[in-house]
Order: sequence, then structure tokens, then C-alpha cells
Amino acid sequence: MAIERADVLRQLDAGFADSPVVLSLGGTAREMLAVAGRKGNHLISLDAMGQTISLALGLALGLQETRPDEKVVVVEGDGSLIMGLSVMSTAGHLKPKNLAVFVLDNGVYLATGGQPTAAADIDMVAVAKACGWRDARDVRTSEELADAVSWAASAPGPVLIRVYIGTKQLQTNYFLEDPAILAEDFRRWLRSTRPAASVG
Amino acid sequence: MSIDAPAGVRAVDSQADLLERRSQAVIDGVESIDPDFVLHLASSTLKIVLDHFIAGAGVRVGRSVFAMPREEEGVAIASGLELAGSRPVMIFQDNGIGNLLTALLTLPQPYHLPLFGVVTRRGGLGEYNSMIHTVSERTEALLDAAGVRWFQLDARTPVDRWAVEIKRAWDFSRATHRPIFVLVNLMGG
Ligand SMILES: Cc1ncc(C[n+]2csc(CCOP(=O)(O)OP(=O)(O)O)c2C)c(N)n1
Ligand SMILES: [Mg+2]
Repeated sequence: MAIERADVLRQLDAGFADSPVVLSLGGTAREMLAVAGRKGNHLISLDAMGQTISLALGLALGLQETRPDEKVVVVEGDGSLIMGLSVMSTAGHLKPKNLAVFVLDNGVYLATGGQPTAAADIDMVAVAKACGWRDARDVRTSEELADAVSWAASAPGPVLIRVYIGTKQLQTNYFLEDPAILAEDFRRWLRSTRPAASVG
Repeated sequence: MSIDAPAGVRAVDSQADLLERRSQAVIDGVESIDPDFVLHLASSTLKIVLDHFIAGAGVRVGRSVFAMPREEEGVAIASGLELAGSRPVMIFQDNGIGNLLTALLTLPQPYHLPLFGVVTRRGGLGEYNSMIHTVSERTEALLDAAGVRWFQLDARTPVDRWAVEIKRAWDFSRATHRPIFVLVNLMGG
């Protein structure tokens, strides 16, 4: 039986409660809000399809000196990943140790009505490895996901985890926050949790 | 005819001299920002500038210099770097402006993130490509339509002012919490 997105999001929120988590647009962000509420460590991308991993790559590069032991976690969709596929090469080349990407692959552009993506024909694990990522794996069950969450927290990045999910959606409200506030909330969280050694 | 010569001085500048002088001014300007990340997408007009940062005197400990495969990817990476408190500078060619508009208008512009780019002009006087003007010539119009603030450095600004103006544009991006591009004409005109 397929795992559903809301369950994956619950596990990712719990597994990375104190790490920066960058959330892809649409249902991914809205369902995370539904299952976890507003979290200081969650940076929500409201519309920049294709750019979630790139945004997180910048964060990871910028934080790797001051917060080397903490992963920047990305929750990306298959459609958005494919739109910005070039970042696979950049991340594989730069190899930030603190980047972990979870691709929630439902095989469709779910937010816009379920049109099929090309994901079914892509071996994302092979793509990541071929681009120079340190490691990658497929996840199909809850147990594999639990394993992958603790693995991603400690394995040197960049790592990619492709999670095969179903297409069930939670009923959610629209999320209408001002993006400038989202950025500032996230920066505040970063400042409030900056490791003591790097203050100053 | 001399370009960039002090008033009253008549000298003969080759396009190569001009490129070298203006490139050095761009290097000085970007160095005065002291960026810790330089993201670039190559242009033949940027060779001198990029050589400086990739393999020349601009190489330093604590500075990371890398190619962005697409300008929009660079915008998103730079946005993440800005959120992390870094000092990224993007350097690329104006025919890539179309590539980055959606990313620019869905990340740094609405999220109020400063972002800074030096953009080399193509398609004007001295151009050797018979087609590139069809996109490059629309740069200002595209940025204006998108509501993105830009400044131009060309023969109208003495080259010895360029570095200062580049630093002021960087400061302006911080002061106004938004993307700022400096368009630099390294080819003449
Ligand atoms: C540039 C751009 N084109 C189209 C859209 C419309 N859009 C919003 S969400 C979405 C689907 C994203 O697919 P995926 O990443 O697989 O996430 P899912 O909806 O399946 O969770 C699309 C096409 C957009 N936001 N931006
Ligand atoms: Mg999808």
C-alpha cells in the first residue's frame, strides 16, 4: 500500500524538528501546515516551482560553516524537481555535506489536477549518483522512510531520497501569508538557534 | 576616436583596451563588495572578469566561485545564500534575463531579499553576433516590465567611477531589500 503525503510530512517534521526545512509549493506546503502548523524552521516557497532545491542549496552553502552538523532538508515534488533538474548537477558538483533532499513522487502535478509528469521514466537515484551526489535511495514503505530519515540526518550530503507516495490529499485552507513575513520569520528562527560558537 | 579618454585627450583605444579597462573596473567594484560567493554564467565579454574570480587574484580562502547552469537557478541559490546571511554576487550576460524573471518575481522580489547581479550587455555597438540584439536589446524593457530596478554603466559614466557605482548598487540592494542589477557595457558604447 502506498504511503500518503501527509504521513511522510508528519515523519519529516518530527525527524527534523530543529533543522531548516524548505518546503515546495502547493499541496506540500499546505499539507505540512495542516499536519504540523506554522514552524519557525520551515521555509515555505509559495510559488517558485522548480527552485526549491536551488533555494535550499544556497541555504546549505551559506550555513555549512556555522552549522556544519545540521542538515538543510528539502521537501520537493516530482514535477518541481523536473522543472529545475539542472540543480542536480550544481549540487552534485559543489557537494554540500549538509543538504538532504526528499522528493515526494506521486507521478503527477497533483496541485493542478493530477496531470502526469515524466517521473515514472526517471531513475532519480541514478540521476543523483551520476551527478556526483554522495548517495541516494528509493523509499516505498513507512519503515523504509523511518530508516531514511535517520540516515539522512547523519549521512554526509548531498543525499537524495525518492519517496513514492499516493495521490490522496488533505482538505486544506489556502495559505495567504505575506512572503516577506515568511522570510523574516525564517531568518529569526535561524538567528535564535545559531550555535553559540558562531555568534558574533 | 577615443572612448573613455579624459576630456581633451585624444587617444586611440582598441576594443581590447576598452574591454580590459572596463573589466578591471568591474573587478574592482565586485571586489569592494567582498563577496563570499560568486555565481557566474560565462560570456565572451566576461572572460577577464571571470578569470579573475575563477583562477586569478580573486581566488581566496572563504570565497566560493561556481557556475550556475541557468540564471534562474542562480537566483534561487543566491536567495538561499542571502537568507543564510552570505554575500553572493551573480555575474552573467543580458540574454539570460528572460531565463530568470519568474524565479526573480517569485523568490527575492516578493520575499524582500536583497540580491545583486552584474549583467554584461550584448547586442550594441561593437557587437559581432548578428542575432543576439533581438533579446539583449530588450533587457531594459523586460526589467522595467517586471518592476526590477537596474542601473547602467557605459560610456556616459567615467570608467574610474564604475567600481564605486557598483558598490553603491550593492548597498542599495541591502537598503531596499530587493534585487538590483547593474548592467555593464564592456564592448563599447
Ligand atoms: C512556473 C510555473 N508553472 C506552473 C505552475 C503551476 N503549478 C503549481 S503546483 C504545480 C504542480 C507541481 O507538481 P509537483 O512538484 O509534482 O507537486 P505535486 O503537486 O504533485 O505535489 C504546478 C504545475 C507554477 N506554480 N509555476
Ligand atoms: Mg507530483
